[in-house]
Amino acid sequence: MGSKDVLVIGGGIAGIQAAFDLAEMGVAAYLLERKPSIGGVMAQLDKTFPTNDCAI
Amino acid sequence: MLDAGRHPNIKILAYSEVQGLEGKAGDFTVQYLKKARYIKEEVCTACGACAEKCPIKADNDFEMGLKKRKAIYIYFPQGIPAVYTIDPEHCPMILKGKCGLCAKLCQAGAIDYEQKDEKKTLHVGAVIVATGVTQFDPSVVTEYGYGRIKNVITGLEYERLISASGPTKGHLYRPSDEKLAKRVAYIQCVGSRSLKYKDYCSSVCCMYAIKDAMLAREHDEEAESYIFYSDFRVMGKRYQQYRLRGAEDYGIKYIRGRVAEIIEDAEGNPVLWYEDTRTRQVKSLTVDMVVLCSAAVPSKGVEQLAEVLGIELTPNRFVKTDPFHPTDTTVPGIFVCGFCQNPKDIAESVSQASGAASRAAGLLGITSSGKRTVA
Ligand SMILES: Cc1cc2nc3c(=O)[nH]c(=O)nc-3n(C[C@H](O)[C@H](O)[C@H](O)COP(=O)(O)OP(=O)(O)OC[C@H]3O[C@@H](n4cnc5c(N)ncnc54)[C@H](O)[C@@H]3O)c2cc1C
Repeated sequence: MGSKDVLVIGGGIAGIQAAFDLAEMGVAAYLLERKPSIGGVMAQLDKTFPTNDCAI
Repeated sequence: MLDAGRHPNIKILAYSEVQGLEGKAGDFTVQYLKKARYIKEEVCTACGACAEKCPIKADNDFEMGLKKRKAIYIYFPQGIPAVYTIDPEHCPMILKGKCGLCAKLCQAGAIDYEQKDEKKTLHVGAVIVATGVTQFDPSVVTEYGYGRIKNVITGLEYERLISASGPTKGHLYRPSDEKLAKRVAYIQCVGSRSLKYKDYCSSVCCMYAIKDAMLAREHDEEAESYIFYSDFRVMGKRYQQYRLRGAEDYGIKYIRGRVAEIIEDAEGNPVLWYEDTRTRQVKSLTVDMVVLCSAAVPSKGVEQLAEVLGIELTPNRFVKTDPFHPTDTTVPGIFVCGFCQNPKDIAESVSQASGAASRAAGLLGITSSGKRTVA
């Protein structure tokens, strides 16, 4: 039996966005992250180019 | 991040590692290891009483080692899931059964020293790899003194220093003597575009160095910034204008030339020797601190993951894709997005992520309405 669920490996901004888009389409998305919480490098950035807005 | 954390269709499996994959597109079985946090996730309220009193200190990797954390810790304050984790390599209770203070303090009763790693299985139709980026360790570029000259730091270390929630609350206190760094030099292409180390362009460093210098000036109007570049690569939307604003509104000095060597003077100030390729002169510049924009490289462990998944990597350890299908890996049903595919910034990572998500949805016959197609 096949499955319609998706596994996303890596919970940085790319993985979060992919999981979010799938979730919005009604797909069950598993977001697997090896660190204690998701966020990736972006969570470590205070501000981001090109807008210098806060990262989190 | 918050939206993903709250979405009813997203299940976050944090502190976990993929160990095995079988099957084919549409029908994969994945084995993964859920590592023991020694905390009952559903019970922890993240109040922090445990960490406040925990007597053990360890390096804080979120803060790039610029600050210590306790043996029981939250990865970062806004982290999702918002639960504490016990570091088994430092907790004396886990190591030798001595202490137990956090269990006594935890009002919720969330501590569980007996918790074990759990092997789990998932059944999915598609996989998306998004394992991201880390920085190349610039200590091998010995002429720049990283690891030897205290006031030479990396880009990610700088990001934590300039962060209001970071170890110095956003003040640029330099590592050697905690003096405020007023003159900062940023060096591009440390290990990138190099025949000796990484032959590719990391693509984000020109832009983040400009950002870093802008932020320094926003924090301190006396801040002086010098960016040493080979040539500017600022190709995104309105990025060139950003670069111009850096010079006009923030007084950033752009110097074209590779730095040959950094030495340290008696006060711990880095002294840069370089050739200014515009004036064709060899010069030196003394600054308070140097930021090495060292090559951005795929995350550690990507080889092992690629082996488990059976996908191919490029010689620089990026996930292999072909130019016309940039989100398809070499295995049908396994897609890729973000920095692990090729160097890219947040804007590009996000759009590629949407691309990978729709490729996966397409494979599984899902339309954006949430209904499955009939045939
Ligand atoms: C110093 C610096 C400053 C930057 N500043 C900016 C900026 O201002 N603006 C901008 O647009 N871009 C900036 N960037 C680039 C930006 O960080 C990346 O574009 C972005 O983080 C890529 O997102 P990602 O999700 O692909 O990777 P990441 O953010 O690295 O996320 C990957 C996630 O996957 C996890 N992971 C890794 N391996 C595994 C595994 N085997 N199993 C499970 N999980 C795993 C990681 O722990 C991490 O959480 C900067 C980069 C650096 C180095």
